[in-house]
Amino acid sequence: MKLKQLLLSTLLLASASAWAEPTYRLFVSNEKSNSVSVIDSRTGEVETTLEIGDRPRGIGLSPDQKTLYVAISAENAIAVVDVASLKLLGKLNAGDDPETFDVHPNGNLYLSNEDDAKATVINPETGEIIEEIKVGLEPEGVAVSPDGSMVLVTSESTNMVHVIDTNAHKVVANILVAARPRGLAFNTDGSRAYVSSEVGNEIAIIDMKTLKITKKSVIDIDKSKPMAIRLSPDNKTLYLTTGRAAKVAIMDADTLELKATVDVGKRVWGAELSRDGSTLYTANGVSNTVSVVDTALQKSVKEIEVGNAPWGLALDD
Amino acid sequence: MRAIILLSMLFAGLLSHAVRAETVEVRLHYVGPTEGTVWLGLQQGLNEANLQGEFLGQKYTLEPISLADLESLQSVTAVLMATNAAQIMELAQLPQFAHVPVINIVADDDNLRAACLPNLLSIAASNKMKQDALAQWHVKHANSKAVAQGWHKSFEKFAASQLNIRFTKAHGVAMDDNAWAGWVAVKLLSDTVARIQTTDAAAMLSYLRNDIAFDGQKGDGATFRDTGQLRQLLLLVENDEIVAEAPLRGVKGGLDSLGLQSCK
Repeated sequence: MKLKQLLLSTLLLASASAWAEPTYRLFVSNEKSNSVSVIDSRTGEVETTLEIGDRPRGIGLSPDQKTLYVAISAENAIAVVDVASLKLLGKLNAGDDPETFDVHPNGNLYLSNEDDAKATVINPETGEIIEEIKVGLEPEGVAVSPDGSMVLVTSESTNMVHVIDTNAHKVVANILVAARPRGLAFNTDGSRAYVSSEVGNEIAIIDMKTLKITKKSVIDIDKSKPMAIRLSPDNKTLYLTTGRAAKVAIMDADTLELKATVDVGKRVWGAELSRDGSTLYTANGVSNTVSVVDTALQKSVKEIEVGNAPWGLALDD
Repeated sequence: MRAIILLSMLFAGLLSHAVRAETVEVRLHYVGPTEGTVWLGLQQGLNEANLQGEFLGQKYTLEPISLADLESLQSVTAVLMATNAAQIMELAQLPQFAHVPVINIVADDDNLRAACLPNLLSIAASNKMKQDALAQWHVKHANSKAVAQGWHKSFEKFAASQLNIRFTKAHGVAMDDNAWAGWVAVKLLSDTVARIQTTDAAAMLSYLRNDIAFDGQKGDGATFRDTGQLRQLLLLVENDEIVAEAPLRGVKGGLDSLGLQSCK
């Protein structure tokens, strides 16, 4: 009997690790304290803080959510962390000044090299740099389409969204947008992409079939400098962080109409949405906090102190 | 040495939206110093314009021309000038340039703004802008020896640090006011060509005056006053360190608290 139970629990454990049972950990890169804050998203408490490397910015999870990647810009590397044990597994060479990245469904990382006007493709299993793709000045936002066929990269100082074909690793289109494009997001089926422009104070919808802008909207919020974009699981609601305006804009994802604003911390940049869409987390770079926004209440319900200059967020849920 | 820069866009008409568009040659004529930071700023702007042009189908080149040769040209799209105020004033009023953007890069003379010429655009901050910035600073810092500048090598905000890094990497010297203004001058024009997809002078002038929100890497999208002055923040610098930004916090009028506000 006991043996049977033991076997069963071992099997369950094995399957749990294969499927990576979520830890519900929220990871926050702290640009100026060279650390990652690990928050238990169920309690809102900081569990621990990891020393990660010099100038952490972009942050994200592998497709199986077992591995956390953090771009450590000043070390020209990506730090690799085991999500369950929180052990630093190593650092991958990432080219000059990696700022942020997105993870392809096949596990490869597509990252922007801010001071080098290029995008780099890395296989994290081997650490090999597969490709370097020339893009515009100060590349920033990166988003892989849901099916993995395309990657978008914004270039902040050439005001473009570059469309990269992931088979050929070639730029296939360049879409001019408002000044200083930063954040990107796809809808669930990949038919649309959204791009925010920090200096232009604008958000635009790109139709991914025609690769044209079909709609754009200026953000009607004082001091707004649009940054990160997240979409609700039903693709109806768009959340946009607005930097110095210290607010999250809640918009209709079809019409780009501003529906509500939520006060969060100062210089709000990164954002992450829970899988069920109920909670939005924001990294507030000047307040040194993470705001927890209840999306049903459209209100910040908690502010969690993290490290210095929180930049981005990744949630294992 | 005096500098006159002529931006002569030989191929007018619509540019293709296609990815591998036929490349449009855009010749920038330049007269003046081929050394010093204005020149380096122009080169930086040119390099960046060409990086964008690689994706969007333009090729920009810079070519010297004398003031006399410039005045003899008829089909000009835009003129960049780094000369004294008198020469700029004279050139801007020549009939063949009446609908051509004439860009004053470095002259800070207030009369170039007060003249309110419809085709004259000034990048550098005017004398009065710098005086107003200092006056705002002196309200609470009466004995400060600060100076007002357009740019500084240690400026970091608004992605200024990225511009400082790439300029110094490319040229081995720090970006200063004149380098920034030269960089702006070329990028304003390439940004205009990319956005309106034409090199028609009058259309470019209209876009520059009415529609542009230019990313000068020092804050909000930069626009022009009706005086032709580029709106911009200024830096107050003491002992080679930035001590404040003007307009100072709490001053009414924002960027328009610096310099001549309007022709009206």
